[in-house]
This record gives sequence, C-alpha cells and structure tokens, in this order.
Amino acid sequence: MSGDIRLMREFIATAVLLLLLALLPLLTRDVYWLGVLVVSAYFAILASSWNLLAGFTGQFSLAPAAFAMIGAYGAALSSAYYNVPPIAGLIIGSGVAGLIGLVLGRIVMRLKGPYLALTTLSFAEIARLVASNSINITRGDLGLPLEPWFNDRVVWFYVFLGALAFIIGGLYLLLRSKAGLFLEAIRDDEIAAARSGVRIVFWKTAAFAISSAAAGFAGALYAYFASLVTPELGLVQQTGLVVSMTVIGGMGSLIGPVVGAFLVYVTSEWLRDVGGWQLVIFAALVIVFARLFRTGLWGLVTAALATRRQRPA
Amino acid sequence: MLTGALAADLAVNGLVTGLFYGLMAIGLALIFGVLRIVNFAHGEFYMVGAYAYTIVAARLGVPLVVALPFAFLFGAALGWVVERTLMRPLYANIGSWGLMRDEYAVIVTFGLSLLLVNLVDKAIGPYAFRAPALVSASRIVVGPALMSGQKVAAAGVTLAVLALIALFLRFSYWGRAVRAVSQNRLGASLAGIDATAVSSLVFSLAGGLAALAGALLSPIINASPDVGAFPAIKSYVIVVLGGMGSIPGAFIASLLLGLVESFGAVLVSYQYRDTFGLVLLILFLLFRPQGLFGERGREV
Repeated sequence: MSGDIRLMREFIATAVLLLLLALLPLLTRDVYWLGVLVVSAYFAILASSWNLLAGFTGQFSLAPAAFAMIGAYGAALSSAYYNVPPIAGLIIGSGVAGLIGLVLGRIVMRLKGPYLALTTLSFAEIARLVASNSINITRGDLGLPLEPWFNDRVVWFYVFLGALAFIIGGLYLLLRSKAGLFLEAIRDDEIAAARSGVRIVFWKTAAFAISSAAAGFAGALYAYFASLVTPELGLVQQTGLVVSMTVIGGMGSLIGPVVGAFLVYVTSEWLRDVGGWQLVIFAALVIVFARLFRTGLWGLVTAALATRRQRPA
Repeated sequence: MLTGALAADLAVNGLVTGLFYGLMAIGLALIFGVLRIVNFAHGEFYMVGAYAYTIVAARLGVPLVVALPFAFLFGAALGWVVERTLMRPLYANIGSWGLMRDEYAVIVTFGLSLLLVNLVDKAIGPYAFRAPALVSASRIVVGPALMSGQKVAAAGVTLAVLALIALFLRFSYWGRAVRAVSQNRLGASLAGIDATAVSSLVFSLAGGLAALAGALLSPIINASPDVGAFPAIKSYVIVVLGGMGSIPGAFIASLLLGLVESFGAVLVSYQYRDTFGLVLLILFLLFRPQGLFGERGREV
C-alpha cells in the first residue's frame, strides 16, 4: 500500500472520528464530562504536534508540554499587560512558541536519540523554572488569571474540536505534500536523504518550529479555557502523558495520537471512580505497547483489517 | 561578600553534595557506557531505595546495618528485572530494531518512571515518609564547616562505596569486562566476554547504587513518590559534563556540580540555582558532546 493512500485512509478515519466526537454533546451536557472532552482535545492537539516531530521526522523531543506552557504564557502575559483580545493572544502564543521552537530546533539539529532527549528535557525544565521563579512578571506558582473567552462548555468543546480539526487538516496537507516525503526520508535515513538532495537543516528546523507552534497554540487556547496559567502546564509529567497517548494510539500515523488522547484521558477520568489506578494502568500499557505492539492501537486495527481482507470470503 | 570562612563552608558542603550526586551519576554513566541509552527511570530507583530503607528500618525496626544493604539489594533486584524484561531487545536481534532503538529506550524508561511513581503513589501513598536517623549526633564540625550528623554519616558511607566500586571496576574480572564492553561491545564479545551478562550486571549495580543513594539521603530528604526526579536530573547533567559513559568523568563532574551549585546559589542567584546545571548540560551537548574528559569510542 503506497504512503499516499495510507495517509488518506488515516485522514478519512480521523475525520470520521472527529465527526462522531462532535455528536457527543447530544449525549451529555454534563459540565464535568464536557470539561474532560475539552482537555482530551487539548492533549490530542499536543500529541498530534509531537507526533509530527517524533513519529514523522524521528526527532524525539521531550519538550511538548514546555511549548504548550510557553504558548499559554504568551497569551496570558499579552492579555494581562496589553489587554489584547483572545484571537490576538492565540496568535501571539503560537507565534512565540513557534519562534522559540525555531531557535531550539536549529540548535539541536545535529543531536540524536538520548542526546536530543536530554537537551529538550533540560530546555523544558529551564523554561518551567524560569516561569515559576519570575514571580514579579508571571506571579510564579500562583499563576496568571485570564478573562475566560466563552462561558458555555458546549461552545468550548466545539472550539477545541475545531482547533483539533484545523491542526489535523494542516498536518495532512503538510504530510501529503513533498514536505511529508522529505520528513519521512530524514527519519528513515538522514544521510541518504541528504545525499538525495533533501535540505536537512531546513526541513528538520521547520518541523520543530511547526510542531512547537502547534503545541503553543494548544497551550494558548487552553489558557483561555482554564482562565489560569501556571508553570504546572510545563511539567515533565505532562510530556509523559503526551508520549503515552501517542505510543498507545500509534506513533507515526495521523489518527493514532487523536485516538490515544481521547481514549487515555476519557478512560482515566472514568477510572478515577474506581480507586484512581488509571495512571498505573496507562504507564504499564505504554511499556507493553512499546515492547510488543510498536504500531499502537491503530497499527493493531489496520493489521486486523488486513488479515481479514486476505482471507477468502 | 565572600569571606574565607564562608567560602570554605560552601566548598565543603558543595563537595559533600557532589559525593551524593556521584552515587547516582556513576550508575547512569555505567548504563550509558554499556547499553548506550539514558535511563530516564534512574530517579525512580533512588525513590524505591528511599522507601525500601524507610519501611524496613522504621516500620519493621530492622537495624541500619541490615536496612542499608537491603535497600541496595532491592534496587539491584529491580534493576535486574528491568534489564531482563525491557532492555533485552536493545541488543538481542539488533538488526530489526536498529531504526527506532534510541526512541524505544526513551519511551520504555520514561514509561517505567511514570509506572513506578504512580504505583508507589497508589500503593503506599503520596505523603512523605520520615526515615530513622543514621546517627544521633545532630551537628558535626568538618574542617571549617558545620554539618548535620546525617550528612557526615551518609558522606562517609558514600565515600566507602565509591572506593569499592572503583576497586571493583579496576581490578576484578567483571569490572574489566564492564569496561571492555563499554569501550566496544562487539569487540568484547569477540574476545569471549558475555556482553549480555555484563548488561545485567551494570543495570543491577546502577539500580542498587541509586537505591543506596535514596536510602542514605532519606533521613534528610524524606521519601515521597516524586523524590527521585530531582537527583535524576542532576545525574543527567553530571553524565553529560563528565562525558557520556565515562566513570571517572562522572565522579569529577559530580563534585564540580556540587561546587558550582553551592557557590552559584550564593554568588549568582539562589532562585535559579537549579537551572545552572541544565544550562551547562545544553552548552556541553552542543559544543563539547564528549564532555570534560570523554574519549571517543573505539571501533572494530
């Protein structure tokens, strides 16, 4: 099956999934569950943006949560000090995250595997420590309050779903173009890609910047939803969640992170009532999936479909 | 503002902190040397050791001379299990794993860290545990500095253990095997060294040392599920400064980081003391990835 058809199938499957999710407010108007869905969509955007980097380009960054935090502070600070409207706050948040991602991506270009993971982890920790210690600007761990943008949770749910659809659509167009081919070539064999004329520096840096901007966008949007921004958004544990969701859903596929995010977050809220062992279960699942089912849930589904098709009816 | 007495006090305290860092970092350096991966669950071995010691010594009333080795053995056993179940794909059948090897290691150790933190959080509880004191003396004068008795006792044990490790790596058969495999895995296997057994040994030893560090420091920093995050980040910094995989480098870098932090907190900024090491880590990875004393691997 050629890459283009595979990508298109994943895109169609994601679109169907998003449409089904859009029907959910018909089932429940419960404020709590709508909140859970909003946070799931936030994580779906983060996981998808991280997947562009880790799954499609082979750059295993440990900083997605830090970029979300940077985006959230971009929105919160500009709204607190310059009173900008939410739309401008979103643009500023994603722009700042994208610019920092551009610089960081250019700097870590040559690093691989454990070196890249350590550098991005350190960057994430520095960003968080700066945010929580610059008390006279960010109010530190108290957090910066924001005027909420909308008050209705149903509206918020559709805003987040729309944002997720926007990101997925953007990723699809990017991956379907020549750029997607270049990125996957870099992931599979950087030297061979360079030898074939792929501009490594440009594409790796671009992927880092785009991924960071998307994470910053998610963070800024979340800031207006939560109406409070704290350094906790950038905790390494948040990155751990993003990685878990992507690995469980299926790394390197368009739909995997979305499935993973909604499945992990909604189930974990649901399991909260039965003793709160959800994080233990998901951490164990991450290990099991990474060890035994490297293509994630989506990979299992496609493999099952493929064997059924091969069997004569 | 930096008087002689203050400088001496900072130096002694920095060096003692550095010794504790060393106990953590040397295990991480051993793992990197032999397996070429960074163990992102290293801090959780520290946490497990702190709990093992606290529970055995405080709840069951076992004497310290038994409780401390118990913590070490517990960490070592956990390290052995982790290596057997999760690390084997890294070198068994390496061809089909080549592409995603590094990513697999990051995901699995990261997942293990999440698993252990949350497991302890649920099974034992999120509250800090108070550990029994190592010695009864509350304040001891060490040269120019005044230090808590706990710290002095822990530093003494740490020095002794580090000396033992150095002797082990220098002179014993298995110590030489570890050094051979970290220089060149293929070459060592060709010379008849069981590289798989060395990997098991190294993971157990690293787990045991981190657990011992957690146990020794638990009277000062009480055990809690996330207590390992902080020492783990320190040891990442140290391993990079010392040159990934270099044991003497890791030891010297531990002492250096202890000094940098202790002086930096007073001279530069107390609030940002935890960022110094991280900035150093990034600068080193970018401009001197072989670290202060690192050597390039030898190829066969």
